[in-house]
Formats: sequence, C-alpha cells, structure tokens
Amino acid sequence: MTSVLKVDRLTKMYGSKQALDGISFEVKEGSCFGLLGPNGAGKSTTMKIITSILEPTSGSAEVLGYDIRKQSAAIRQQVGYVPQEITLHNKLTAEQNLAFFGEMYGVKGATLKERIRVVLEQVGLADRGKDMVGSFSGGMKRRINIAAALLHRPKLVILDEPTVGIDPQSRNHIFEMVRELCREGVTLIYSTHYMEEVETLCDDIAIIDHGRVVVQGALDELLERYTTKAVYVEGIGLDGAPEAEEIKSVVQEGKGWRLETDEPLRVMKAVSERYEKTRATITALEMMRPSLESVFLSMTGTSLRD
Amino acid sequence: MIKSLIYKEVLVIFKEKGTFFWLFLLPIFFIVIFALIFGNQKTSQTVHYYDADRTAASQQLIETMQSTAGFDLKYDSKKSLDSQLASLKNGKITALLVIPEGFEASLNAADETSPTSLKLYRDASADMTIGPIKALLNNVVSIYKDQKITAALKESGQTDVEASAAIAPPIEIQDVAEKAFKNDSVTQYVPGYTIMFVFFIMTTMINSFMRDRGNGMLSRLRSTPMQPIHYLIGMWIPNIIVVIVQCTVLLLFGKIVFGMHLGNLFALFSVVFILSICATGLGLMISMVSSNENIGNAFVQIFTMGGAIVGGLWYPWDLLPEFARKIGVFLPHHWAQDSLQNIMIRGANVEDVWQGLLILLAYGVAGLVIALLRFKKFITSSVS
Repeated sequence: MTSVLKVDRLTKMYGSKQALDGISFEVKEGSCFGLLGPNGAGKSTTMKIITSILEPTSGSAEVLGYDIRKQSAAIRQQVGYVPQEITLHNKLTAEQNLAFFGEMYGVKGATLKERIRVVLEQVGLADRGKDMVGSFSGGMKRRINIAAALLHRPKLVILDEPTVGIDPQSRNHIFEMVRELCREGVTLIYSTHYMEEVETLCDDIAIIDHGRVVVQGALDELLERYTTKAVYVEGIGLDGAPEAEEIKSVVQEGKGWRLETDEPLRVMKAVSERYEKTRATITALEMMRPSLESVFLSMTGTSLRD
Repeated sequence: MIKSLIYKEVLVIFKEKGTFFWLFLLPIFFIVIFALIFGNQKTSQTVHYYDADRTAASQQLIETMQSTAGFDLKYDSKKSLDSQLASLKNGKITALLVIPEGFEASLNAADETSPTSLKLYRDASADMTIGPIKALLNNVVSIYKDQKITAALKESGQTDVEASAAIAPPIEIQDVAEKAFKNDSVTQYVPGYTIMFVFFIMTTMINSFMRDRGNGMLSRLRSTPMQPIHYLIGMWIPNIIVVIVQCTVLLLFGKIVFGMHLGNLFALFSVVFILSICATGLGLMISMVSSNENIGNAFVQIFTMGGAIVGGLWYPWDLLPEFARKIGVFLPHHWAQDSLQNIMIRGANVEDVWQGLLILLAYGVAGLVIALLRFKKFITSSVS
C-alpha cells in the first residue's frame, strides 16, 4: 500500500528547547493513524509541520507526494487540519463559520453550499446550521471545528486532540465520523493522549514521547509484541491468590487478582475448576485485554498518564 | 479570499456589542453632553453690587455698567452690606462692588482733586472671574474721565466738536470677520469627539489580531491556501469601512441634531477616508508590535486621550497653552481636527486642507510599513 505521509528524521527547535528529536514514521493510504503521547510530547508540533504551518529545523517530510518545504501550497489544497483549539466565531452561525473556512480553501458558490449541507450532516448538526455557534455546547463546537476541515474534500485529514473536554454524545459522533471517513478512503492522522481512542479507532500507531518516536507499527502487532496476556479473577471466600502452572505472575488489583500468563484460556479453566471444588463464589473471571498503556509502560518505564 | 476575510470580519465587528458602544454610543453621549453644557453656556457675568448712596449719580453708574454687553448687575436689597460681605467670605459670591455713601456729592464737588472711591471686594482665589469685572470697571472709569475732560474743555471755551475731537482715541480697532459659518461648541465637539473615538478603532484591531493569534485561528488559516498578506489586508479593510461608517454616523448626528454645517462634502469625505487610513494604519502597527492585548490597549489609551488633549479636540486650539500646541502639532489628532474645522467653518475645499491630508496619510503609511515589517514575526509567534 502506498504511503501518503513519510516523515524522515524531523527535528524542531523552539529557541534552545528541542520539541522534536529526529522523528520518522510513515502513514499508509486510507488508514487511520494514531499519534499517541502525553501532553508536550511533540504531537502538535509534528502535525503543524506536516500541514506546513511550521517549518522543521531539519529533516524532511512528504505529504501526498509533495515536499513540505517546497510544495506547501499543494499540500494545503489537499489536507484538512483540525487544531486542538476551537477556532470558530461565536457571534456567527455554524453555516457562516463553515462558509468562511470553505472559501479559505477555495470552495465557492453552489458547491460550497452543498458541501456545508453535507458536512453538517456528517457531524450530526444539520438542524443547527443557522444557529449561533456561541449557543452550542463544547462538543457541538468541536464537531463544527472538524466539519470546517472537510469542506474541500481533503485526501488527508489531521485531527489534533479532537475530543478534549467533550460530552459522550459528541465523542460518539466524532468516532462515527472518523470511521465513516476511513470507509470513504480518506487517510486520517489522529493525535491524542487518550489511548482508548487510539485502540478504538486506529489501525497503525506511533507512540511519541519527549520528541521521539518510542515505537510504531500496526496496533495489533504492537499489543501482541509488547504486552503480556492476563486473566482477572475476583470472588467471595477465595482462600488466597489462585495458583496454576501456566501463571507467570500474580498482581493484586482492586478486589481481585491479575494473573499474567501466555495461556489465558488454560488459566481460566484451571481457576474455575479449582474453585468449583470449594465453596467460594467467583464474581468475575475474564480475559484482560492488552492495552497501549502496557506498551507505553514497557517502552518508557512510565505511565502515559504521568 | 480577501473578500471572504473582509466579509467575515465585518460581520464579526458589527455583531459585537462592544463595537457599537465604543465607536458609536459613547462618542454620541460625549457629543450630546458637551454640546448641551457648553452650547447653552451663559455668556453674561453676574456682578453683585451694594448701593449705599442711592442717588441719581449712583443709579446712572449702575445703568452705565448694565448697558455693557456680557454683564448682569445684581442688587440684593434685602441683605445688608455686612451680610453680603459675609457671603463673599463664605465663597457664595466672588465679587461685590460697593458704591459708598456720598458718591454723588463727591462727584459734584467742584474743587475735588482726589478721585471718588468705589470699592470692589473680591474673592482672592477667583482671579479668572474678577478679570472681566475689573475691565468693566476700568471702562466705566474711563467714561467718567472722558466726561470730566469734555466738561473742562467746554468750560475753557471749546465747542462740542472740538472737545470730542480732543478726547477721541488715536487708534481704533476695525473688526473684520472673514467668511465663516457658525463657529460654536458643536463645531468643536462633534468633529473633536468623532476624531477621538475614531482612534479607538485601534482597540478593536488589537483585540481582533490578539484573538486570532491566541485562539489558534491564525495558525489554522496558515494550513489553508490563504497567503499571509491576504490575512493582513482582510483584517485591515473592514476597519477602514467601520471608521467611515462611524464618521458618517457621528457627523450626520451633528448635522441633524445640532444643525452643524458640514461644508464641502467631497473635502469632508476625503478627510474621513484619509483619517481612516491613518487610524487603521496605526492600529495595524500597534497590533503587530504589542506582545499582548493589555500593552496594546494601554498605548491606545495614552495616544488617543493624550492626543485629544494636546491636539485641540477637547478645547479650541487657540486656547491651548503654547507647550501643548508645540506637542499637538506633531499629532494626527490636531491635523484631522484642523482639516475638518476648516471645511465646516471656513468653507475650505480639498486643496485648502492638503497639508493636513498629507500628514494624516503619512502617519497611516508609516504605520502600515512598520506593520508589514513586523508581520512575519507576528505570524511566527502565532504558531509556535
């Protein structure tokens, strides 16, 4: 599959502070690529360089085959960038805000009108187009903020922390919209510090920390490679932590235990058989899903939330 | 794209209630208040007097004084002299002229060599009020002196004509008024406050630029095909439009409500247009050089209010102290006011106010050049 984005040893200095330290990664066409990392890791700087808002200090990047240094005009025509900040005018209606951004991307007349209608539907706010944005909830504003980047039918959409501080309904709308765009063949780069969002939406990821790419690859492969499978057990009257040959380690977690193992099904069977013979009641026995938190922890030695 | 930016910014500016308050309501409020206070200002000055003589001569003196325009003589027959002097001491009145008992007799005394005394009691802290009263009294004394000399000349055998010729002053003042329309408080305060509040457009501009820089709008627009210079032009022109609308509203308000004469409309529009370039050019400059909103707005306050004082927007230029005029002549406020007043009061055309127009334009262009030089840094600071 062809790459729509190739980032090669990018660095960025803000004065004496190094924001990016030679990051490299690739994004495949039509994929949803997650850029995961804690606040201040360099995600926004990376995105601003990709969209040619910022110039890198060194290194190179190609977006849709265009060089970010020499062909920024072509990149801007075909990329939709949604910043972390909500850049809307509260005193204007949703349609007026969208018309402004559409014209900034060169969309005009009847085409613009039609595109405004379509993107409002996409973000689930078709009935609020004539309302002042100032009357919208934070989540609705975020949805319009995203809609503004879709008016010119971009091939690559870059979303920088699009779900910060929003309600569950708007979050679901955004998730659904991301999935729909992926189905339409649009490539997405999704930046966030919420690992659950990346796990839910993305095919490939890069974890970034202190301006460096810590690890990258297909989500499933990374989870397989860097996490240990585990079983969680919790119950009433259990006489100590369960024991079985297949269990590599036991960690007390909440009211139960996390049993790390390479063979979770065997462990589950062993645990259920053992407690069937006693009078203890098992209230929870489940396979624990490996998480990106574990990947981040194993690669950096710190928690993503730290 | 520039058109879209202009349309959006015009919508944003006119939907902002603060814009109407600062650019329209507040100047109208000031114009109305000052025009009402100073437009209906009482021009006659009250002179309190106490007539202890109560004779035909003292009455004639009062009538002579009363006949002088601008003075209103007031006698309170119910109050004693001591009571009125107490009022002076308490600051309730600023001056009291006392005609002493025996005034008539003293005037008629044929062999009198020493002058008859009139006493002017005054508040020592009210020099500005006392000045005109003293001038009035000196004038009255001069009239009595002329009468005395005329009588003496007649007694020496001269005719009325000869006596009049002898006391006629060697110099006379000819009052020649150039062609002028009504020059009053309205032609001072309407253009004055219009100009002062025009410069507050700089606050609107600073707020807009800082808003776009702070909320990520400028950064986001950098990700679109828009060129940076389009942004600068798109943000500048709406403010020119706002200033032209503002001046039109305020000057028409002066004409409709106070009957102010507008003069040559083409010349008036030329001044308004160049003034809008001047104020918005300076607004762009301050927006680009200010590190934040507070610093920018503090500068606007000092420039606008300070310029209004020394530029002759609050007081007539001729009444300003010399040092204030020396400063004011370097400020656009003065040249805008001078140009507008020349058009409204003296019927000037564009060619008569070219100097003011050129200076205003120079300020605007200087502001634009500095803004352009600083623009790249402003853009960079918005995305890092």
